Amino acid sequence: MNTDTDTNAKIDTDANLRRDSKAGTGTDANAIVRTDGGTDPSIGTTVGSGPSSSSPSLPERARAWLAGLSPVQQGVGLVICALAALAFVVQPGLFVDQFVGGLVYGMILVMVALGLALVLGLMGVVNFAHGALFMLGAYVAYQFVAVLGLSFWAALVLAPLAVGVVGLVMEIMVLRRLYDQEPVIGLLATFGLTLMIEELVRAIWGAAPLGFPIPAVLSGAIDLGVTQVGTFRLFIVGAAAVSVLAVYALISRTEFGLTVRAGVQDAEMSAFLGVNLPLRFTATFFLGAAIAGVGGVLQAAQFGMGTGMAQQFIILAFVVVVVGGLGSLFGSVLAGLLVGEATYLTPVILNSLASATNLAILDLQGVRGIVPFLVMIVVLLVRPRGLFGEEGFLE
Amino acid sequence: MVRVSDDSDTEGVDAEAAGTDAAIGTTTTTGTEAATSGTAASATRPTSDDSPREAAVGTVGLTRKFGEITAVDDVSLTVPRGELRAVIGPNGAGKTTLFNTVTGALSPTAGSVWLAGEEITDVPQARRPHLGLARSFQGNELFTDRTVLENVRIVVQTTQQGPFRLDLFRDAGPVGRERATELIERVGLAAELDSVARNLSHGDQRRLGIAMALATDPDVLLLDEPTSGMSPGATARTADLIEDIQETLGLTVLLIEHDVEVVLSISDRITVLDRGAVVATGPPEVVRDDPAVQDAYLGGMRENE
Amino acid sequence: MTDRPGRPDRPEADDSDRFGPSTDGGERTDEPAVSRTHEGGPAGSEPDVLSGRSRRLVSLIGRYRVPIGLIVLVLFLRPLVSQPWALGFGRIAATMLIWMLFVASFNLLFGFTGLLSFGHAMFFGFGTYGVAIAVSRFSLPFVAGAVVGITFASAFGYLLGRLIVNKGEIYFAMLTLAVAQAVYFVANRNPYELTGGSNGITGTVPPWIETYRGETTVVLGGLSVDWYWAVAAVFLICALGLWQVLRSPFGRSLIAIRENEALARAMGVDTERYKIASFTMSGALAAVAGALLAISDQGAALETLGVLTSGDAVLMAVLGGVNYFFGPLAGVFVWLFAEDYLTDFEVLYFPLREFVLVSVDLSGVLEYWRFLLGGLFVVIVLLSPKDGVWGFLRGLVTRVARVGERLGGGSRER
Repeated sequence: MNTDTDTNAKIDTDANLRRDSKAGTGTDANAIVRTDGGTDPSIGTTVGSGPSSSSPSLPERARAWLAGLSPVQQGVGLVICALAALAFVVQPGLFVDQFVGGLVYGMILVMVALGLALVLGLMGVVNFAHGALFMLGAYVAYQFVAVLGLSFWAALVLAPLAVGVVGLVMEIMVLRRLYDQEPVIGLLATFGLTLMIEELVRAIWGAAPLGFPIPAVLSGAIDLGVTQVGTFRLFIVGAAAVSVLAVYALISRTEFGLTVRAGVQDAEMSAFLGVNLPLRFTATFFLGAAIAGVGGVLQAAQFGMGTGMAQQFIILAFVVVVVGGLGSLFGSVLAGLLVGEATYLTPVILNSLASATNLAILDLQGVRGIVPFLVMIVVLLVRPRGLFGEEGFLE
Repeated sequence: MVRVSDDSDTEGVDAEAAGTDAAIGTTTTTGTEAATSGTAASATRPTSDDSPREAAVGTVGLTRKFGEITAVDDVSLTVPRGELRAVIGPNGAGKTTLFNTVTGALSPTAGSVWLAGEEITDVPQARRPHLGLARSFQGNELFTDRTVLENVRIVVQTTQQGPFRLDLFRDAGPVGRERATELIERVGLAAELDSVARNLSHGDQRRLGIAMALATDPDVLLLDEPTSGMSPGATARTADLIEDIQETLGLTVLLIEHDVEVVLSISDRITVLDRGAVVATGPPEVVRDDPAVQDAYLGGMRENE
Repeated sequence: MTDRPGRPDRPEADDSDRFGPSTDGGERTDEPAVSRTHEGGPAGSEPDVLSGRSRRLVSLIGRYRVPIGLIVLVLFLRPLVSQPWALGFGRIAATMLIWMLFVASFNLLFGFTGLLSFGHAMFFGFGTYGVAIAVSRFSLPFVAGAVVGITFASAFGYLLGRLIVNKGEIYFAMLTLAVAQAVYFVANRNPYELTGGSNGITGTVPPWIETYRGETTVVLGGLSVDWYWAVAAVFLICALGLWQVLRSPFGRSLIAIRENEALARAMGVDTERYKIASFTMSGALAAVAGALLAISDQGAALETLGVLTSGDAVLMAVLGGVNYFFGPLAGVFVWLFAEDYLTDFEVLYFPLREFVLVSVDLSGVLEYWRFLLGGLFVVIVLLSPKDGVWGFLRGLVTRVARVGERLGGGSRER
């Protein structure tokens, strides 16, 4: 938790010294602050910034953001949009199908990355075990649906709660001791937890891939004109959107979110004001774990599950958070969708380009797996702090 | 361990202090041109006559914003060679941010930084100590798990070798030991040579910080609250130490300090910051009587105490 | 230098004697524990007892204890693990040395520069694939493959370092992990039929390697040496090189960056370039280990590039103690030993089967030994993230020495 992050603090004290001790920079900036708490538009920018949390409207913010891009960056964006349009014209059915696929994938990524970004932004801990919680969501849902014979809907509610409880225990037993430490220590400890959870899953459910049926109501398909799309895929998008928005609203709009954010800025002051910060951090952690659990259930229902999914998705979540910019929830959401769409549309675009130009060499099948990493590298080269990253955050 | 060292410290510094008494007189005389020019400008806003570009260290229109907040607001400073300039102001006036911007830890939002007639605004932070610009930190920034000697040796080595050198084929053992020992003795920590930095007393840690800053062979030294958290006795000794160092090494010193006694006794001129902007600059007695300063600074001080 | 107010009674010679080892230690790694050993240990009483020559010898051993320790390790590792009560076969000793080199290279970054690389497997893999591709696909000599692999790893490390080294520890960890995953994907795609996809590359046996009943032998110009000694030679050279790097002025700068990067930068250390250099060296060293692995495993396995390999390096280093030169080596030893010992439980099970009482079937539990290791790891990180097993052992030795000294001192008085 570095210095410049703290500049959005709104409580007028110099008590941030603890946080600032590392680099000794920017201390004074914290102090020139107003005391008008909740309505300050600058609060939202560090953590929990988003369309709903700040006073300028989304279009305005988007315009401001776009204006901040260099001409080259805007040009690259335009070229990508043009290529996508070309692909849509050449193969509309495939394009829409893959677009929905990207949306599903992106939403799942958002659900993993959101909890990661939440815990990182609010508590300064990189929770490596977040992928394991995601995986746990999948396996617990399997237990409920395939083993205990409960309905999918019950699993969709209960599994995330169970994962949340695991997260709770994890937070209380391990992470709580790490808030004052270097972030790397938290990363290491949660890495150890990942191993334990993975091994536990292997011991209970075995290493073979598993799956469970989706409810009959959602097993049909919807005709979108150019192609048919599985109802369950649309359901995933909808359910994920609802959960993400709910978390968003909670962090950016409610008293709870406000006190947590304030506590991140200035723990001593919050303690002084009588806020039970550990409790709120724990609650935040529960929330992050639970939403990863929801993601796990949805992922498992659509694609099945395996013991490798923890590692696979934590890496992707890292990619998403890096692309979005460390410390920005809004960035993580957008980056998740971006990475999801890029992963699914890149092969389509390449394929369309190949057939339009008759250059078979452009049709790189199997490029999909590496697309998230390419997106990440490109974003880092062009915008070193990610799309919405804060200067100095965790640097 | 710490007790013992404190005693020996006292001896060391007392011996130095004997020489410092005389030094105070000299400081005042050397500082006269500065003082008179300051008086002429009658300690108000910095005038356009100031020429930061030729000073030992200076800034022109330096501004640093954090999002919506302007921590340093259009600050133009001119610190002539050999001056001991105190920068004061209430908490949150932007003093440390000013230091961070001058030393390059932060890049300015606008304006420029000048060192000995050269613009250094775009010079990377790690290069600046090699140009003669050194600082000590407000918090006790040390290599806490290393010995006092090792702390200073790291800096001596860096000063000798430059910002980067692939010096792989010899033992670091002897590198910089002599110079480091000398500096440690100079700040009165000879007895603590092999102590691990984290085990030092608060005051000793501050001195170590000063020794490390000196190890860069600076022309301009920025000290960020070198006496904060010290007992009155230790504060006086540290003030003497600073004055002595400045005197004997001919340094230009920029000093953030909360202790009014220290500020009034050792500084040649004082710059008052409030809300990031310069409120007044001038010799101590003039600044003290400036109504704007009374307003901004002393009011702020009273609030904070 | 002449007037020393604090301690006029301290003779110069004594001063430098104390100094040498303790500062050396500092450069190398060894944290306050060392100076404590020297202060609290027998240093105070020994000078009176020992003659000048033996004192010099003690100080020399102190100064060169890492090289001495490395030689001892290389000489005794194989006989030790071959003991029937240990693992019962010596082949794993070469693997252990290779992993030790790999994890030591990781620790140059993490333990001594403060950069946590979660993707170090890629450098390991560059070495392995470099050799495997050169030997198996192009029938080039081993050395050519190794040189290509190591050069590639260095260049990759340098370029990646330039891109990510200054983004902060957390960024660095996440980005190395992600890039390593990307490398894994590329190798899995089997570009130009080079990497063999998920099958990897097999049959990498240069003409100077002979294998008979699982024992690998190097045959060069009529000279026949066990593969272990070839590995040991390379290991020794690299580990000594690493030791030299850490005790050099360059290494001192790295440690300064680890301790307090912001301060180092403020004092004029170009931290970015040092970190890039460290990352490059670390990558190159990992590739050396990887090149050896290609011969040991007679090919390249895709898993070498996987996340688990990177994770294992992190686990082993932390388990062993990242603050010490020997920490990672100890971590590798404990890890690989435990892995073999616990998973091949039959080894132990056979002789014990006759005793009815002992036939508790632990194999079901020990199959999941990674769970236990994960738990141990969490505990270590929570209690003392930089000390690990080696730090624990050192603490123990120091304590025993202190008790021994007290007892010895008492008897002397009597």
